[in-house]
Amino acid sequence: MHFDALLLSRLQFAFTIAFHIIFPSFTIGLASFLAVLEGLWLATRNEAFKVLYLFWVKIFAISFGMGVVTGVVMSYEIGTNWSVYATLVAPVIGPLLAFEVLAAFFLEASFLGVMLFGWKKVGPRLHFAATCLVALGTLISAFWIISANSWMQDPSGYVRMADGTLRATDWGQVIFSPTFPVRFGHMVLAAYLTTALVVGAASAWRLLKDHEEDESCLALKMAIGMFAIVAPLQLLVGDASGKEVLRVQPAKLAAIEAFWDTRRAEAFHVVAWPDEATETNRWEVAIPKLGSLITAGRVDAEIKGLKDFAPADRPPVAVVFWAFRVMVGLGLGMIGLGAWGAFRVWRGGLPDDRWLLRACVAMGPAGFISVVAGWTVAEVGRQPFVVYGVLRTAEAVSPVTTGEVSVSLIAFMAIYALIFGFGALYILRLMAAGPLAGAEAPVPAMPRPPGYALAAAPVEPEERS
Amino acid sequence: MRAIIEPPPEPGAPLAPLAQRLAWFFGLAFAAAAATAVVAYLLKALLR
Repeated sequence: MHFDALLLSRLQFAFTIAFHIIFPSFTIGLASFLAVLEGLWLATRNEAFKVLYLFWVKIFAISFGMGVVTGVVMSYEIGTNWSVYATLVAPVIGPLLAFEVLAAFFLEASFLGVMLFGWKKVGPRLHFAATCLVALGTLISAFWIISANSWMQDPSGYVRMADGTLRATDWGQVIFSPTFPVRFGHMVLAAYLTTALVVGAASAWRLLKDHEEDESCLALKMAIGMFAIVAPLQLLVGDASGKEVLRVQPAKLAAIEAFWDTRRAEAFHVVAWPDEATETNRWEVAIPKLGSLITAGRVDAEIKGLKDFAPADRPPVAVVFWAFRVMVGLGLGMIGLGAWGAFRVWRGGLPDDRWLLRACVAMGPAGFISVVAGWTVAEVGRQPFVVYGVLRTAEAVSPVTTGEVSVSLIAFMAIYALIFGFGALYILRLMAAGPLAGAEAPVPAMPRPPGYALAAAPVEPEERS
Repeated sequence: MRAIIEPPPEPGAPLAPLAQRLAWFFGLAFAAAAATAVVAYLLKALLR
């Protein structure tokens, strides 16, 4: 492997985007969770919802801040490392990214201020409106990013000018490219799952320490409800997304499944070791005919193998193959955890099932890992193109030297490690302390002075001066 | 110590007039957007 400016620029973008995606995938779900908590508090006046809101809004604020810092850097990176891409594609992609920033700024960042500092100043209803606007902002932000990325995966509604630049001819086709709906659904569900797993893990951790902490029990039930419903739904949406890949990016699908030869009734490779040099799998554990059934919906369907594509047009196989299996494997784990949790909620005894609580804690990071693995499949699987079938990644890189990119990559790694390290540590400490750590502790009852007529009865906190 | 994140008003506490609450609503929103813009421009200056 030769570490030239192209590979280093790709590594740099992969590194920064992998760090960045962790935060939006968490805050998209958390913003909606906060809106639900506040809505339930307004409707029921159950104090547990308020305590949970005040706890998770702190974590949301920190995650949102880290998401902004890591996200803003990426837009500059397009200019520094991918200036040819920016020059050629900006007339199409630029407005979509601009709308994303507008949504992020005008809804998320703006009304976050009201969420954090304005509850007494604006009153409960306007505050709830602010929380809903932030949640809506995160979804609109995701809409534009997935729209831009879906267009890069399956470009349509554009024309290539004589100077090589791309111009939109039909904005409807650009924004709503054919794979967009299913990819948007897949990402939003992934974000909800990620948040549910984190909320579940933090709540389970608290219940392992104190199984009578009602707020954590309530939050865990809400999290289990979410991943019991959303994880199986995500499997269906993911399958629909895979069918779209088969239609628009057959080389990516062949890499996902390590299919080398075009054949009917293809086997499903549960695990394999794909070898690009020999164009075979060195070893594999396969289930006959299941590959065609899963990918095309028919046992006898013919699936294109990688050998049908010129070596220069194939994505890296092993990375895509294994990233997909990490994503799906963890997804199946989430379905299992959801079923187990739902059974325990139904039968009772949730706070006392220590094995379930431990499993919830262990699965806490699974959403983040799945999201990064899923994006690895999407982005590495699109190679060697940056805009599929239109612009190769090698043609999109800036005229930068290996030394320049090396220095900036090392700087990014050091700064991100610092920011992420402190941020993650602080969030983990907040989660470990639990929702009651910042809440007012109940004042213990004091004995009455001797000789008082009701000396045996304790003084209630409200009676004290 | 006063909490940084403002909790909801106590039950039964009188609310300020709607005009005043709306002024806070949009004032805080504008201030928060401005704060984010400052972070973005600082990063831009740093990366130039």
